[in-house]
Amino acid sequence: MKRLCAFLAIFTLALAAARLHGQPAPPEIVAIEVPGNNPIVDPHAPLWREAPATEVTMLPQTIVVPQKPDAAVRQLSVRAVHNARWLAFRLEWADPTQSDRIVLDNFGDQVAVELPVDPHGPAPSPMMGNPGGRVNIMQWRAAFQHDIDHGPPTVQSLYPNAWADVYPDQVLSVADARAYTGALGVENPISRAAASPVLDQMAEGWGTMTVKPDQYAVGRGSWKDGRWTVVIARPLVSDDLYAPRLAPGDRTVAAFAVWEGGNREVGSRKSWSPWVPLVIGRATVPDRPGKPKGSKP
Amino acid sequence: MAKVFNWQIGREMDYPFEGHRPQRQFAMIFDTNKCIACQTCTVACKTTWTPGRGQEYMYWNNVETKPYGYYPLGWDVRILEALGVQEMDGPVYRGKTLFDATPTGEPILGYLPEDMDYAHPNIGEDDCAGTMTQGAHLTLPHMQWMFYLPRICNHCTYPACLAACPRQSIYKRPEDGIVLLDQSRCRGYRECVRGCPYKKTYFNAVTRVSEKCIGCYPAIEQGRQTQCTIACIGKIRLQGFLGKPDHPNEDNPLDYLVFVRKLALPLYPQFGLEPNTYYIPPVHVPADFLRQMFGWGVEQAVELYRRVAEDKKLLGALTLFGSTPQIIHYFRVDGDSAIGYDATEKELVRVPLHEPLVIREAYDQAHDAYRTNIT
Repeated sequence: MKRLCAFLAIFTLALAAARLHGQPAPPEIVAIEVPGNNPIVDPHAPLWREAPATEVTMLPQTIVVPQKPDAAVRQLSVRAVHNARWLAFRLEWADPTQSDRIVLDNFGDQVAVELPVDPHGPAPSPMMGNPGGRVNIMQWRAAFQHDIDHGPPTVQSLYPNAWADVYPDQVLSVADARAYTGALGVENPISRAAASPVLDQMAEGWGTMTVKPDQYAVGRGSWKDGRWTVVIARPLVSDDLYAPRLAPGDRTVAAFAVWEGGNREVGSRKSWSPWVPLVIGRATVPDRPGKPKGSKP
Repeated sequence: MAKVFNWQIGREMDYPFEGHRPQRQFAMIFDTNKCIACQTCTVACKTTWTPGRGQEYMYWNNVETKPYGYYPLGWDVRILEALGVQEMDGPVYRGKTLFDATPTGEPILGYLPEDMDYAHPNIGEDDCAGTMTQGAHLTLPHMQWMFYLPRICNHCTYPACLAACPRQSIYKRPEDGIVLLDQSRCRGYRECVRGCPYKKTYFNAVTRVSEKCIGCYPAIEQGRQTQCTIACIGKIRLQGFLGKPDHPNEDNPLDYLVFVRKLALPLYPQFGLEPNTYYIPPVHVPADFLRQMFGWGVEQAVELYRRVAEDKKLLGALTLFGSTPQIIHYFRVDGDSAIGYDATEKELVRVPLHEPLVIREAYDQAHDAYRTNIT
């Protein structure tokens, strides 16, 4: 009991000290401008060194059922850059388990960036928008990254000792076999082996998330030494009606969500962040020293 | 939470959505006294609906041996334990439903099985409960017992899978009450697998979304009974539609057996889902066990079943089990025959109440051979 009391006292003191010396709330995320025209997807590209990191506090989702009061991820390190064509976020967080094998009782690691579809209007609810307040949600999934790096899941890859006789799709025409292919047969975007590990989606409230017919978001993630580093990128401007149209100098907001698969997080069982101000930088050219930051070249 | 009326527990209860009963409700009756666990129904379902990739472990229809058989492992024991001991004297259930017992932050009291819980579909097969003492002789109920429990999705009036899905990817068809899972909208959160106490939704790890029994709706729409029903060699099943609980139609064999005679009972009514598959309880199993499994009317149902030979209309309804692949909407007994009719009141089938008894001579003159009782 004495030991427990001593521990609690130390713990309380430590908490108080952390509050006194803790960082204030993050002011904003600044997407600095970098050279190039191509999509920015490499999480380890040198250009990220110049981008300032914003530490975003993540909250367990406890508003809507089902909830996850003990969501694992409490802090997300966010960097952002753009090259006048593409806007990219580099998201980094600690995750001791690389969860990219999805079976009944295994859940995947995921991270998402949310932007209001109208970047200049009043901000919608950060919790997946609201009726009339649409949001664009780009979600990277470790399982999709695994599909791209190692191929889509098969029964044998998921369960090495599994055995099955002939499958209907091996002996029937594609049309006839469709009844036996479930979600694959109706092209559910969760089931397909996609070209991008990021799903481009929209929502206007809980339970309304919909994958867009045209996909613009790209990205890549890598897990090393207990940390995920993930890039999620999208065009600043596109013909996508359900995405913000952004330009250097714009100010808008961004929000984030993280799922720790090893902690059985899925769906609304996750960590989320409120809106964080996002500035699309006018120009920062790191390879030209002496140039004042934030001014157009 | 809305207030809905659940006739099986005789009271109003909480449910996340407003109650809208379908025009008619897909239902099935199983006579457990006739099931021999041949698994023909399981195979019929498997080959019809779940031979695809990721569906290897799925049994939308399975038959398990009670009391020690489960698929997945311990499905009912685990949820009963989580629910705790409840008062269930009937006709009004005074205990908690799974919705009453919902933990904070959850849509319903449930649990998610582990992968390995599905590794033993035949666990407990033919295992008995009870011990034999010195000098024991056969009595009813048996001192040592087991029975077979065939199971499909119950197409509940208040489905837990539907209640638990945060995306409303699961819906109940107003025309026949069949509960379906939208394969294009599901995102594989597994909340339905967690929520359904009967564990009749399954997760497909290849497609990464959930799947469930579809009540053979393409057959139902053609007036045909489900594959598991028409394949049943023991003729233990009757599939059709239930009417309204407060306006039963005595000419509908399902209404008659469920609402009027109360011979067929729902599986675990205390969960509060109003499941729509019904069981004629086994007559040789101790009443305490049956009461927990099928509710409070079980002793009367067992008594009634033992006297069925004296009751022509009841016998007639039971005789129609497995008698035709078509859905029987109406029936009547005419003399010593039971007659089943389709929705247009056209005669589908006529079955004698008693099979003629034939006693064969021990010596077959035509073949110049002796018959023995093993041929």
